[in-house]
Amino acid sequence: MKRATPYLLLLPALIFTVFVLAYPLIQNLFNSFYQVSLVRGTGGWIGLENYEKVFRDSEFWLAFRNTAVYAVAGTVLALVVGLAFALLLNLKLGRITTVFNVIYTIPWVISPVVAGFTWKWLLNDNFGIINHWLISLGLIHEEITWLGNPDTALLCVAIARLWQFYPFAMVMFLAGLQAIPEEQYEAAAVDGASMFQKFYNITLPNLQSVSAVLLLLGILWSFNDFNMVFVMTRGGPMNASMVLPVLVREYSFVFFDLGKGSALSVIIFALLVSLSFLYLKALSRREPA
Amino acid sequence: MKRAAPILLMAVIAAFVLLPILWTLSTSLKPLSEVNVHPPRWTSPQMSIQPYIDMFFFLPFATYTANSLIVATSATILTLVIGSLAAFAFARFQFAGKDLFLLVFLLSQMLPGASVIVPLFQLLTEVGLYDTLLGLTLTHAAVLLPFAIWLLYGFFCGIPREVEEAALIDGCSRLAALRKVLLPLALPGLGATALFAFLGSWNEFFFALILTSSDTTRTVPVGIGLFVGEYTDIWNQMSAAAILFSVPPLMVFLAMRKTFVKGLVAGAIK
Repeated sequence: MKRATPYLLLLPALIFTVFVLAYPLIQNLFNSFYQVSLVRGTGGWIGLENYEKVFRDSEFWLAFRNTAVYAVAGTVLALVVGLAFALLLNLKLGRITTVFNVIYTIPWVISPVVAGFTWKWLLNDNFGIINHWLISLGLIHEEITWLGNPDTALLCVAIARLWQFYPFAMVMFLAGLQAIPEEQYEAAAVDGASMFQKFYNITLPNLQSVSAVLLLLGILWSFNDFNMVFVMTRGGPMNASMVLPVLVREYSFVFFDLGKGSALSVIIFALLVSLSFLYLKALSRREPA
Repeated sequence: MKRAAPILLMAVIAAFVLLPILWTLSTSLKPLSEVNVHPPRWTSPQMSIQPYIDMFFFLPFATYTANSLIVATSATILTLVIGSLAAFAFARFQFAGKDLFLLVFLLSQMLPGASVIVPLFQLLTEVGLYDTLLGLTLTHAAVLLPFAIWLLYGFFCGIPREVEEAALIDGCSRLAALRKVLLPLALPGLGATALFAFLGSWNEFFFALILTSSDTTRTVPVGIGLFVGEYTDIWNQMSAAAILFSVPPLMVFLAMRKTFVKGLVAGAIK
């Protein structure tokens, strides 16, 4: 009886996890081999036809490319900005730094929906402040419909996402910076190292493991990010900013093809698992050196 | 003044970081006639809190807010109760498969919403919970559980075993020891976990969007996210809703910044 106690304690949590996460993950796989329509219900087994439909869809390839760019470029940029801000905050300029630290973290605290909303309004072609400023500065001559233009839509969403995500990198880098022993810098100063040399030879190597974690998490999270794109553009105009999670919703709940939506979900899951796997493998290979 | 230059730089950056929020705040205080002006202006002579009142009447934001409160509160309670039991098992028992279970919870936290949404939608439809507050609450609780378990596990491990052992010697059962000794000591940790869970559910958009379909069940993020393209002529009310909705997260963040940052970092790494 006593041996059963921990399992009984775990049971409710396991039930939740199984019903809402594990079962759907497996069911998804089954769905993807059947004809499943939101309006007509489940039909017969159709083998790989759902996957074929996805791979033959040019929208999928566009979304795939967009997602890759959005996730990789966006994360790298967020890391650069986060590191720059963390270095500024680490200058130890007294209490005022805490105020800036709080302000710089705020974008991360508010809801992604609100973040998307504020940027959408900021970029509004007629009444937004961005166009007004750019025109006042003489950088552009007429209003740009930032989110309605296929050339700029994805870029704008990525900037909004950068705004919301960099604080995470900043907070992590700041913790990393504060963990570097002061003695290393003092020793370097004695040896007459320049500021750049100190940064390159002490700061960066010490931040390597933090950066590795941030890179993986950032790419995984951005790969899964539905909110920013949906709120700002819904993937438009003409799919110019379409990403994979938004496409899952479109297949399943706009075109009612749950089978095709499930197939795409399985593809996304496989992509993420292999991405994490490759990454962890690359990391462990580098470690012994 | 070696300090002046970096401080000035930091202040300029701060202004840019706050720009989207300040612009929305300014919009939320202007009458519509002042919002739709060209070129846009930051202030207007007729600024008032009227849009904050109008939004509750023009769009069903009163219902949305009530729904958000109900779902977030119930999901938090569920998460906390179920999560504490599981975390207690991990922190105080040795059992076969412990590492495996921990790993399952860790991994399920990384699971993309897009990979489970279709079957989840089918399941909830099947059992009659699609488009209900209960269905959304259960989903949110499940999504928040792994993170809560990890947080609580950390808090429980920080409490010395001896306190409970003393209670056991005095004749308490294990569960009574959890309730009477461990939980009171873990109260700060439980509080922090409750706030994270609440905010997690409060801000959640993806599941809330797809698992509800009527005005009586939608939450505030769905209201904002869904109508942002459609009611483009009431930017001031939408801005007011966005600002009002951001108040709870901001308050929590400002009140307990250190715990907040630590918790979110811990939630990501572990």
